[in-house]
Amino acid sequence: MRADAVEITDLLWDVAADGVRRPVRRSAVVDRLRATGQHGAARIVARMPATDDVLDPDAVDALGVRVHCELTRLVEELQFPRRVAATLAPVLDRLRAAGPGPVRVVDLGCGLGYVVRSLARSGLLGPDVELVGVDLNPVLVAEAERLRRDEDLACRFVHGDALAPGVAVERPGRTVVVSSGVLHHLSTEELTALVRAQAGLGVAGWAHWDIAPCLWSTLGAWVFHRARMREPVSRHDGVLSARRAHPAPVLLAAARDGAPGYRHAVLEGPRWHPRAIDVVRPLVGTRP
Amino acid sequence: MTVLVVAGALLALGLLDGALAGFRSSLGRTGAVDHRARDRVAARRGLGLMAALLLPVAVLAAGHALAPGDWPAAAYVRAGTGLLAVYLPYAAVVLAALAAYVVLGWRWGYLASALILGPFTLVRPLVATAGVLLGAVRAGDAVVVAGCLLALAAVLAVEPLSGRLWWDTRRQGVRPTASAAQRQ
Ligand SMILES: C[S@@+](CC[C@H](N)C(=O)[O-])C[C@H]1O[C@@H](n2cnc3c(N)ncnc32)[C@H](O)[C@@H]1O
Repeated sequence: MRADAVEITDLLWDVAADGVRRPVRRSAVVDRLRATGQHGAARIVARMPATDDVLDPDAVDALGVRVHCELTRLVEELQFPRRVAATLAPVLDRLRAAGPGPVRVVDLGCGLGYVVRSLARSGLLGPDVELVGVDLNPVLVAEAERLRRDEDLACRFVHGDALAPGVAVERPGRTVVVSSGVLHHLSTEELTALVRAQAGLGVAGWAHWDIAPCLWSTLGAWVFHRARMREPVSRHDGVLSARRAHPAPVLLAAARDGAPGYRHAVLEGPRWHPRAIDVVRPLVGTRP
Repeated sequence: MTVLVVAGALLALGLLDGALAGFRSSLGRTGAVDHRARDRVAARRGLGLMAALLLPVAVLAAGHALAPGDWPAAAYVRAGTGLLAVYLPYAAVVLAALAAYVVLGWRWGYLASALILGPFTLVRPLVATAGVLLGAVRAGDAVVVAGCLLALAAVLAVEPLSGRLWWDTRRQGVRPTASAAQRQ
């Protein structure tokens, strides 16, 4: 695999900052994938419906929703909502002790918002916590909102760019930012930009979960995507995400660069004694 | 008597596998947080579908019994115990992992899923085939072997068929909220 290999779902939507969607040329996506030697992925895209070489937006949206529905199954099995609750508990306690008023948890790159909706349903974080999901893809945001309504959950979803400061953050000192499975979509420069945006606002802290790249996570991603996923796009992207995830030293360097005033850690076991639970683990940052 | 015990055990395992296959075939389709009611419907449908798919095996065995000549009960028992030798340990491990997933805390639930439930779903077709191979080798009777192969076909077909019959969202297109408003 080449270092610049990309996930298919990173190429299927082109949404401008104002939310306006631009047409995506199938041949351009296929060429991009071939250029990085991703011939299997190129074949998957070449089979997608298109009119005059423009990918059918309805078919792409439907595929995107199906892929993310499949993903919620993995997110559930990986126990993401519980992981978030366990890691945030001491941070939230500290914020409660510091003063009255609600605390906000913002999930950046929330996809269909499963983590946010699940936390809203279980109430694991406590009744004083506002839950907001943010995603760059308006189709997923609309679908997350529909699912929220269906189950009558106390949370909300907004369209926005994780790298742009201020999305869904009103009282930074009482806001904690989380994400799951987003960091591997970002270059090291974008990682720094993500952390810098949050630190610039002065948020209380963050915890960004992503796959720890190692033989076990690649094997696990392969096993789970073969066993659980049906869409070829899911299978391709899922295995690639494990292979292109950032190792802890890269995450830490980018975080220190972007937020020198914060304390940083990657919460995983030692390299000589990897823990199965750490196949996904968070990069955490806290304001001293 | 032995034939009935072996057949009963295999039928119970087959129906349990059908229920779990039906459950799996409905997962990851809607993104909803609470899918318990749907899980129950899916498990019931999977069980019913497996019963229907195993019907040809029962018809074959019944036809075999009614045909002139001696019914080779021993061949059925040999084949059936071969299948059980493979399937019982597999089922025991899966049931233990499922119990851990449901009863123990989330960290154990995660481990049960990561180390057992996911990998065991992946190797299920291989395990099913291995059991049938062992049963077929032990049977020494062509009709019994044919019955084993029909059962294998049922096990391999139940999950994809259940998905296609009841849970496939591919033909429904994107849901209305997720498109029109955003597109220009
Ligand atoms: C692998 S998915 C993970 C979705 C969700 N967090 C989950 O765990 O199921 C990555 C998500 O990040 C979103 N994303 C990628 N870059 C983003 C950005 N710059 N701002 C906001 N969302 C982004 C994508 O649209 C996609 O929904």
